[in-house]
Amino acid sequence: MNSSSALLDVQNLRVSFSTEEGTVQVLKGLSYSLPKGKVLAVVGESGSGKTVHALSLLRLLPPTADIEEGHVLFEGKDLVSLPERQLRKLRGARISMIFQDPMSSLNPVLTVGEQLKETILAHRKISKLRAKAAAIRLLKKVGISDAARRYDQYPFQFSGGMCQRVMIAMALALKPQVLIADEPTTALDVTIQAQILRLIKNLQQQTGMSAVFITHNLALVADVADEVLVLYGGLCMEKASVQAIFKNPLHPYTQGLLNSLVSINKKEDLLPAIAGNPPVPGKECPGCPFAPRCQRAEKRCFQTRPPLFGKREHQAACWLLEEKA
Amino acid sequence: MNPIEIKNVYKTYTRKRFLSFGKREETPVLQDVSLCLKENHVLGLVGESGCGKTTLSKIILGLEKASSGQVIVDGKEISKLTKPAFKKLRRLMQVIFQDPYSSLDPRMNVGQIIGEPLDIHGLYKDKLSRRKILEELVKSVGLSPEHLTRYPHEFSGGQRQRIAIARALALDPKVLIADEPVSALDVSVQAQILNLLKEIKQKRRLSMLFVSHDFAVARFLCDEIAVMYKGRIMEYAPAEELFSNPQHPYTEALFSAVPVPDPVRQKKREAVSLTARPGMENHPCPFAPRCAYVCEACHTAPLLAQVRPGHFCACAALPFKNKKSSFAV
Ligand SMILES: Nc1ncnc2c1ncn2[C@@H]1O[C@H](COP(=O)(O)OP(=O)(O)O)[C@@H](O)[C@H]1O
Ligand SMILES: Nc1ncnc2c1ncn2[C@@H]1O[C@H](COP(=O)(O)OP(=O)(O)O)[C@@H](O)[C@H]1O
Ligand code: SF4
Ligand SMILES: [Mg+2]
Ligand SMILES: [Mg+2]
Repeated sequence: MNSSSALLDVQNLRVSFSTEEGTVQVLKGLSYSLPKGKVLAVVGESGSGKTVHALSLLRLLPPTADIEEGHVLFEGKDLVSLPERQLRKLRGARISMIFQDPMSSLNPVLTVGEQLKETILAHRKISKLRAKAAAIRLLKKVGISDAARRYDQYPFQFSGGMCQRVMIAMALALKPQVLIADEPTTALDVTIQAQILRLIKNLQQQTGMSAVFITHNLALVADVADEVLVLYGGLCMEKASVQAIFKNPLHPYTQGLLNSLVSINKKEDLLPAIAGNPPVPGKECPGCPFAPRCQRAEKRCFQTRPPLFGKREHQAACWLLEEKA
Repeated sequence: MNPIEIKNVYKTYTRKRFLSFGKREETPVLQDVSLCLKENHVLGLVGESGCGKTTLSKIILGLEKASSGQVIVDGKEISKLTKPAFKKLRRLMQVIFQDPYSSLDPRMNVGQIIGEPLDIHGLYKDKLSRRKILEELVKSVGLSPEHLTRYPHEFSGGQRQRIAIARALALDPKVLIADEPVSALDVSVQAQILNLLKEIKQKRRLSMLFVSHDFAVARFLCDEIAVMYKGRIMEYAPAEELFSNPQHPYTEALFSAVPVPDPVRQKKREAVSLTARPGMENHPCPFAPRCAYVCEACHTAPLLAQVRPGHFCACAALPFKNKKSSFAV
């Protein structure tokens, strides 16, 4: 994770919401860099801040949210302070996003082809006819058979998996440098999920783009990711290469997550679950967010937040690693 | 006696077709489903969304009527029972749903939620004994008595599912019907709830119909597994037999799609392609459009036949299927 070759550099991102109970910070200083041509997986339980992080990269947060601090550097520009007009040119064209629920991201009263064509025309000065041809090519590219006929169909005539393919086609329409995919397969069946993961990986390799792949399921990232960042309570717990995360996880939370994955390969009597429940924003422990559930927690874990320890290629935020640092 | 037996159940939903002047559209949702839940066993019903899992659960619970076939609960065929007789029988079966957010009434506190079935059936002597039963129940699902006065919104997803389980256990049922009870939970919490379900099954000698789309989860909990596709049982076997000797091409494809948490092995695995080939919609085998093994033999509708001891599979091409299995995990 050398930041000089980084395409996207996220620095100390802090995001809070104003709620009835006051200001609640949900991202507490997140930093990472996305190398060119690589896939970074952001893994975390629900509520850990994955979506808030994704939305803040492109400043798509709701009005009650506030980016209190931090920078998102992309090609020398800071997306946090970039004027809205310039940011709009980047969204979709240079950095695009796909979401969990493909159905609700498509307009139900327009044909799939129209929507794809409009996306292309919004950013490229070409004729309608050429835009249509480009749209059909894209549908083929994401594995939609009979693309010319499908072009004239409406979203309700597509299955969930096909809608997600269309969303991917839209995201790729303008050949972005970065794709941000927020749980793109969570709503799909396993067989469809496997196809969509392969598709994203193949397209990423063909086009050389970088991707941030967000998921709550650690098992999924083995296939798609080059680097992994484990998020918990709005903080990075561990980041490393995908091999290192699975082979040599350093953080007790990552270790617990890996242990609690249910295996299809053997029958277990009891699963090594992590006890307790994920932190509630605004009510978390001032020290390590994982301390209340951690079997190895010491006194200081509850009091002082551990920084990231370790070498640049493999870092984890746990006091146990302090001596080794 | 087997707690639940399902014999040749069919279910078709009919609805008026859009813009077609009274013509009715018939959607067959279950076709010739036969299953048996044995005492103190967990029967897994596994399949992709829309294959009919919830419909079958609803039929067993009397929330939907089968179009034909028999559902036998505790030795009695439910369609032949009077309303009061069914109500009495229904008490033996309790249900847990997927979404712990919508399944609990937000205006009731935990004590009221768990105590409601007890109140309805008047199953305690006095206030003190009611309180005692409730305390036992919350403790048995890993919550504490203080939680009884709190409201659902104060709990996380996993804790809510514990509350739903406690409520289901209140009437001391013989059978639990769990419809994707961990699908909405995070991995770290999912493991806790699976452990809890296994524990209560053993302690209370419960029988369970466990509906899931996740084979790994089913393997952990189930004694028998039925694999369903488009409303039909494609394969049905003791769990360990199914995992060591998957027979049906669909089961194989599903296994190959389960992600393995190991980058080296996962990158080498090849998921079986399941892209539907157009023009085969009316094939006698519902899986044919996506099947890698479709051949001449498939031109009659496949019947569920015993292929190994206790192991049933509905695939006409099975004898001709290349035994070099593509399933490698
Ligand atoms: N509009 C909002 N108002 C207040 N809090 C919010 C809002 N959106 C998200 N949050 C809170 O921020 C935290 C992170 O949410 P999110 O990023 O959606 O989690 P994830 O995507 O990891 O499941 C959660 O605790 C959530 O309750
Ligand atoms: N009330 C209904 N009317 C018409 N079709 C229905 C109804 N309920 C379910 N279906 C259809 O029956 C099929 C099976 O649904 P369901 O049992 O919910 O599947 P699963 O639980 O396996 O996801 C689906 O195709 C669904 O659209
Ligand atoms: S810092 Fe302490 S509480 Fe946090 S993970 Fe490490 S040992 Fe556990
Ligand atoms: Mg999210
Ligand atoms: Mg269902």
